[in-house]
Amino acid sequence: MKHVFLILTICLFFCAAALPAQTVVIVNESVSTKSLSVKELLDVYTLNKSHWDDGSRITVFDLKGGKTKESFLSYLGMTEDELKRIWLRKQFTGKARPPRALTDEEEVLEAVARTPGAIGYISERTYKTTRNVRIIAKVK
Amino acid sequence: MESFNTRRLSLYMRACLYFTACTLLTGGALYAQETGDMQIFGSMQSLFMYQDSQLRATFPDPAMDFKLSETRNSFALQQLDLFLSKEIDESFSAFIDLEFQLNYSSDKHWGSMSVQEAWLNYHYLDELSFKAGLLYPAFNHLNEIKNRLALMPYIYRPMVYERLLSERFFTEDFIPEHAFIQVSGSHATGPVFLDYAVFAGNAEGSYITKRNPDGSLSSDVNQKFEFLSGIDPTNLNLKLIGGRIGFRTRDEQWKAGISITHDYNNLRDTVRMPSEGLPPATRQLLGDDAERIRIGADVSMRCGDFWFEGELIKVTYDYEPAEKLDLHAEQGFAYGTLGYEFTPATTAYASLQWGDYFFGVDSDYFVYTVGGAWRLNQAITAKAQFLVYDELHENYTPDIQTIPAHKERVTITFTMLGLSILL
Repeated sequence: MKHVFLILTICLFFCAAALPAQTVVIVNESVSTKSLSVKELLDVYTLNKSHWDDGSRITVFDLKGGKTKESFLSYLGMTEDELKRIWLRKQFTGKARPPRALTDEEEVLEAVARTPGAIGYISERTYKTTRNVRIIAKVK
Repeated sequence: MESFNTRRLSLYMRACLYFTACTLLTGGALYAQETGDMQIFGSMQSLFMYQDSQLRATFPDPAMDFKLSETRNSFALQQLDLFLSKEIDESFSAFIDLEFQLNYSSDKHWGSMSVQEAWLNYHYLDELSFKAGLLYPAFNHLNEIKNRLALMPYIYRPMVYERLLSERFFTEDFIPEHAFIQVSGSHATGPVFLDYAVFAGNAEGSYITKRNPDGSLSSDVNQKFEFLSGIDPTNLNLKLIGGRIGFRTRDEQWKAGISITHDYNNLRDTVRMPSEGLPPATRQLLGDDAERIRIGADVSMRCGDFWFEGELIKVTYDYEPAEKLDLHAEQGFAYGTLGYEFTPATTAYASLQWGDYFFGVDSDYFVYTVGGAWRLNQAITAKAQFLVYDELHENYTPDIQTIPAHKERVTITFTMLGLSILL
């Protein structure tokens, strides 16, 4: 019986590890907005919304690649190329600056934590409550 | 012995180099979106072009018929743009676009260098922004990005936007090239953004006085103001005003709008000769500011792997002498491009354009073009384009009086290969 319980526990552990972690959208604590809908997130990541409701500028961080990015883009309903095309047009017309793409989620967490008005996305696993950031949306 | 002036110049140049190096180094090290740093970026496009031109003139007397042809090919740095962008604080940002065209060399008198945009933007709300300075106004789909070649699959843009042909096709008759103030904004409602822009600027560039190399005035309206080159020397009535309203979906896959401007066409301009297709006797009766309204409509969309963009520009005049002479005082331009993306990095397109570009003359041309663009990586795109320009004048009256009115057909084909690079 003991062995069966051990095997089941190990199986459960590996199953849980294999499940994709949920993606969360994080903001710097200075941001007064409490939540963002998917449409508002799209506006932020297409750089159409450049300021928070209190008038402070939004600084957007992006990931260079990976599963978390894939799940975030699919939540927005955009492909990477579509977003990049929009960013390039906005950059070249002086309307907005493209987000800085960081290599890993820890870097995004760090950057959002130290930049007032910043927003980024990471997997829930990377999120640590002790940092200067909070979750503003969960990607479904 | 080194003169004081030479030393001062050398110090000045060293200081400039220092400043540029520091700006480049610190700019690159900071976050792209952080406030306070200046971003420097740009784009360039070089091309190889083969051109084959044919002119066929048909006279009432067939003995006078003639045909001219010419071929040429050339490599060129078509355009290089350097952009400087600075977010000054939460609300203010500044932007500069320096443009170099055609192997620019002031030493060899090749090409041109110009400041295309230099403005300050004040963002009050997403619904309300104020822009002041030299700027590209919001008019139709392409006007705001007309010199951003890296954003387009074309080598030669639709004719009225093609800067290398702007003298030939009277670009400024069709689009407001620059403005100086713009109020704009967008409001999100449901699945779309409603966009608006209102702008004002100087009258068209042909009012600007130029000097010929021999020192004589090559144009223009009011010679006592020639020292004000670059500034519209005429009165307030000749200012440009205009605007655009439109919508775009929140994912920016669909976009449409209507634009309008009011200004004047300088018919006494001796450089561009907006009425050169008219008989000289008729032309002499037209020496005034012709009140002009331009109406534009634009649509662009992406649907699956297909994309489409198109524009229509109608130019109408309220000008009594032209009415009295029963002239065709209208101009127009339209284009439509249908493209297909084989992969996110490879696209092909076919485009049809139509234009009626001489003031006072019914002068139609058609352009048929196909092309493709292949993005090698995030920065480099290889382009190819084949373009046929076809223009027919049913009743062409040349300046030389010994040549009678006749039918003239001009056919030009361009075969182009280009490399577009994001800097």
